[in-house]
Amino acid sequence: MTLPDNKPDTLAMRMVELDGEHVHTLDGKVSARRVVWNRRLSRFREIMREVVSTPGGIAGILILAIAILVAIFAPLLAPETDLDPTKVTSGVNEPPSAENPLGTDPLGRSVLSLLVWGSRISLLVGVSATLVSMIIGTIMGMAAGHFTGVSNAILMRIIDFFIVVPSLVLAIVLSATMGPGVLTIIIAIGVTSWAGTARLVRSQTLTVESRSYIERAWALGATDWHIINKHVLPAVMPLVMANTTLAVGSAIIAESTLSFLGLGDPNAVSWGAMLKSAFSTGAATAGYWWYMLPPGLAIVFVVLGFTLLGRALESIINPTMRGR
Amino acid sequence: MTDTLSRGPGDSPGLGLEADIAPDIDEPKRSSSWARYTLVKAGGAAISMVMVILLGFFAFRIIPGDPVRLLTDGRQVSPEQLDIIRDTYGLNDPLIVQFFTYLTDMLKGDLGQSFVYNQPVTELIGERIGPTLLLSGTAALLSIVVGLWIGQRAAWKRGSFFDKANTGIALILWSVPTFWLGMLVLMTFAGSLKLFPTGGMMTVASDAQGFDLFLDIAHHMVLPVLTMAAVVYAHYLMVMRASLLEEMSGDYLTTARAKGLREDLVRRRHAVPNALLPTVTLIFMALGGIISGAVTVETIFSWPGLGYLTFQSLSQQDYPVLQGTFVVFSAIVIVMNFFADLLYRVLDPRLRK
Amino acid sequence: MSYPKSLKRLTALGVAAGVFLFSATAATAATAVVTPSAAQAKTSSADKTFKVALLNDVDTLNPFTNVLAAGANALALSYEPLVENGQKSNELTGAIADSWEVNEDGTVWTFKLGTDRKWSDGKPLTSDDVVYTFDLIMKNPDLQKSKGALVEGLSSVEAPDAETVKITLSEPQAANPGVQIPIVPKHVWEKIDDKAAFANDKDAVSSGPYTIETYGKSSGITMATNPNYWRGAAKIDKIVFVPYKSTDAAIQALRTGEVDFVPDMTSAQFGSLENEPNVETYSGKNRRYQAVAINPGAKDKNDQPMGDGNPVLQDLVVRQAIVRAIDKSTLLDKVLGGHGTLAAGEIPSVYPDFYWKPTDSELTLSFDPAAANKMLDDAGYAKGADGIRVDKTGKPIKLRLMGRSESAAHASMAEFIKPWLKDIGIDVTVETKASGQVNEESEQGKYDMYFTGWGIEPDPDFQLSINTCASRPNADGSAGLNESNWCDPEFDKLYAAQHVELDPEKRSELVKEADKFKYTQAVNNVIWYYDSLEAYRSDRFGGFEKQPDGVGPIYGQNGPWGFYSVTPVSELEGANSESTSQNSGSSLPIGLGVGIGAVVLIGAVVAVIMRRRSSSDDRA
Repeated sequence: MTLPDNKPDTLAMRMVELDGEHVHTLDGKVSARRVVWNRRLSRFREIMREVVSTPGGIAGILILAIAILVAIFAPLLAPETDLDPTKVTSGVNEPPSAENPLGTDPLGRSVLSLLVWGSRISLLVGVSATLVSMIIGTIMGMAAGHFTGVSNAILMRIIDFFIVVPSLVLAIVLSATMGPGVLTIIIAIGVTSWAGTARLVRSQTLTVESRSYIERAWALGATDWHIINKHVLPAVMPLVMANTTLAVGSAIIAESTLSFLGLGDPNAVSWGAMLKSAFSTGAATAGYWWYMLPPGLAIVFVVLGFTLLGRALESIINPTMRGR
Repeated sequence: MTDTLSRGPGDSPGLGLEADIAPDIDEPKRSSSWARYTLVKAGGAAISMVMVILLGFFAFRIIPGDPVRLLTDGRQVSPEQLDIIRDTYGLNDPLIVQFFTYLTDMLKGDLGQSFVYNQPVTELIGERIGPTLLLSGTAALLSIVVGLWIGQRAAWKRGSFFDKANTGIALILWSVPTFWLGMLVLMTFAGSLKLFPTGGMMTVASDAQGFDLFLDIAHHMVLPVLTMAAVVYAHYLMVMRASLLEEMSGDYLTTARAKGLREDLVRRRHAVPNALLPTVTLIFMALGGIISGAVTVETIFSWPGLGYLTFQSLSQQDYPVLQGTFVVFSAIVIVMNFFADLLYRVLDPRLRK
Repeated sequence: MSYPKSLKRLTALGVAAGVFLFSATAATAATAVVTPSAAQAKTSSADKTFKVALLNDVDTLNPFTNVLAAGANALALSYEPLVENGQKSNELTGAIADSWEVNEDGTVWTFKLGTDRKWSDGKPLTSDDVVYTFDLIMKNPDLQKSKGALVEGLSSVEAPDAETVKITLSEPQAANPGVQIPIVPKHVWEKIDDKAAFANDKDAVSSGPYTIETYGKSSGITMATNPNYWRGAAKIDKIVFVPYKSTDAAIQALRTGEVDFVPDMTSAQFGSLENEPNVETYSGKNRRYQAVAINPGAKDKNDQPMGDGNPVLQDLVVRQAIVRAIDKSTLLDKVLGGHGTLAAGEIPSVYPDFYWKPTDSELTLSFDPAAANKMLDDAGYAKGADGIRVDKTGKPIKLRLMGRSESAAHASMAEFIKPWLKDIGIDVTVETKASGQVNEESEQGKYDMYFTGWGIEPDPDFQLSINTCASRPNADGSAGLNESNWCDPEFDKLYAAQHVELDPEKRSELVKEADKFKYTQAVNNVIWYYDSLEAYRSDRFGGFEKQPDGVGPIYGQNGPWGFYSVTPVSELEGANSESTSQNSGSSLPIGLGVGIGAVVLIGAVVAVIMRRRSSSDDRA
């Protein structure tokens, strides 16, 4: 009979304590700042060391490294002329061959080349949309946790509203209004997916602000801005970072879904757009598996990478989450 | 937490549970009475509903494009005819008049008239809400049962092969775009193997009755239900696993074991029920999301429900229908969230006394 | 610490329900095998029901308010006009009317009704019914939704006697006013109070080869053969239009024999059926064209500029160069899989009377990038350092290309057009939008280029009319119907001349001349005429007559011919249906059996493993 190993994680505990300690540096002395900065830097290093020590974390980092390298070196891996249907010589919908390892699409282009170039849009949209979502979510969450009274009530209503509103439909409306494109998709995903983060951040803010050192800070005449900026933000940041990593995966899926529904950028290759084209040209009925499988597998691969890394980060940053 | 699109932040596998569901519990205060708690929650839901209705109207008015032109695409129509059609749908009225009509009609349960189907939106939605509830409900039940069962087992045997294999599978399924999974399933099981129909809810133009009809519908349901459930169950699995792991660290379990209770009993009698508490609440909150998450699954499998209706109205710019599905989807999620709030209070032992 | 009882009950309930549902689903998967094969056995005894996949929404079957094509196609089998388009070549031929004549200035048209015309309920069809129908449309704006445009020039419709109808026009016109208006029975429709809201979905009375028996959203349209049809009753008993939500699903149903006819396939879908046993694929020439419109500088009715088209396109040379840079035959091959006909003019080859068949020397804008580059060089559009030409104001020529977001063909064509135009130094950005938005923005001239297409009616008058200066919109963009945001006095002259030319041959020449003139102006680069890709169960039905004869489509004709002529295989000459129809259904249950066996096996293995694991746990 084994008991679950639930020894509190010392590193993470220390982090929280450290945050609690630096409360007293109310003024912005340079030395104090540097101390804080150094502390954060070393904490980041420690976190990374911990991430690399978990199998999930290392797998996630490897997967993402591959994906990012492919995206950066796309022009070397597949010449851009591969994307130009007027320049290709292969026939349409050809099964895999030595010339085209993953076959060709309905326009005769190499599916492998499309896949390589598609990684750019998927990563770009995933990361950017998540950043938008995290910034809105963190600000709204901290504000909702920090303020009380009417402003709190209003903020809570807004957050609640964005939690209940069907974000897919909202994103569709946004895309239709702004016209399809990469920027549109980034905004549509970012604007509709921040509410979960806001809730999370709000609850963390409440926890932080209930600590005694915050009361001391208040007593010393700290402003709202000071409390949020110097105490709440640093305390919620690790959580937000882990959350961000997890959310990128969701944003990539969201991007493919919107592209699939025809709201993607028609001037760029993306995995979602490839799947849309496969679906609408009847590739499923015709059995062109080489055009349907690779884009989906690529999405799964990258999303899995972000999820694994995110979970590893989370379990380190949030000690109660260890081992889950 | 809302639908497939935002399978997103705060909804990711293994994310902090308490933060996910508990935040609203401290407001109103724990000590407040049942009536006050319910009232505050109901008030919040009502405000959200009003905002949805407002957004529903204006969002679909700012989309550019004249829907009436679409109706007459490529046909012989005179400008006068177009005007007649616009008049029929009240599109020539000033925006504020249209809004007022929209509000008063909605109070009467009238969501307007579809441009495309020549049919009241309420009727269209009424026809399709049943299939959507059937599909999403079955998928939700299946994923809850499978997800929770595997989740608690995996947590109990943390680190075992069972745990690792199932967590791995769940994480992979979590990373799969639902629509792509649907396409693959469709291509394999309906296309190549011909085991299941490619879409729809029942065999068309068949006069099956009673039990035959039930069988026919169930046959059509298999693929879409499995597709939907595959992605969702992973979520429940991770939540249940995390929740039970936390529960297992509780002192009372050690006490229970010390009393000589068998491991099996400790799990079944103590840990699992307590871990279910946050999980059940979370599931309830996510139910609304599953329903609106039906958009892509219903589209792939041509399931005659609200999600497919939404997709079609989108491509046909049938604003009144889009507006209607938007309001109905939101209402479902709002109601589910309200119930989740109530349920949490009912179930939370700290709050029940 | 105790735990809530309610929670336990909840869990138990959830688990029970889940298990039940799961097992029910699994069980049905097994039992449902029986259903399709049983259904097949049933239908084979009554093999005179022809099932057609219905792939689009039916708005209504009311002939006055119907707008969408799915309903219109069923109505075309049901309600006859005075005069219809023949099966051979879309020529005009008698339907309710036997013959017709027109006075010298083309303002009075007199129709003689056939003597043996009857409604499906046996009542005689007289000139009274015809006058009644025309009056309904002309006097009630609510009933103009579908056919209002066709009665605009009519001043009166009279019945001098029971077999004669006289239509008087306010202006002379060459197009026969008796086509396309579906005649309804007065004795039925005069009893209906709200005619515009009438659904017409049950036991309709009409005079065409089939009558509407029932219609329901999920059950589709059932049409019964009209025994009183004057050309003779059809050879089948019923047509059922069975709704399918996607073409893929319909194709699957065709493979299993649940449906007999599937129209409107993509070339990939079409190709996947080519080797299917008992299924015959057919590619028929259609009446719809695909084009890239080029904005020549949209103007409203008062000749004021409108929209935001790039001014450089107002130069005819630039537009012509763009047309010459686009390789239509590659597009046809790669995007459409060759299932179409290369085009130049708008009126398709299925209307031989009006089709402008260009000779090689007439194709002045054929694909030739070198010539296009030279044209632009000569016109003074020099290439910049990046290979993009600059316009007369020194700005690089960057054009937008607008398409519909749901169209796979638009996206594919854009992938080709972008690099081709780059080759002649023009930069292209693709924009995809919802259909309604594309319509509106194109109408208001808010585009540089966009993908467009029209289904052309048998009489070209309407299509030409929307290219005249009079069809341009008001300043606010309303009341406009102009096809290409283009107008030219020379074209207007040709239009006006053909509009009143009663001599068919002379009119035909004028129409072709107009079409050719528009081609030279490079405002609408017509790329191809689509083929209709259709497939049917050749083990059950055959004998379909195409319109035009031998090359046209079976479904969506101008008239009832394709489905009127459908014949059960047993009645076809030299048919031997018995041997072929046997083996189609049997593969399904076998496949299912194997699948279920596999699932059960996996389940058993999993169960055994689980059992082992849990017992070992207990021991620990």
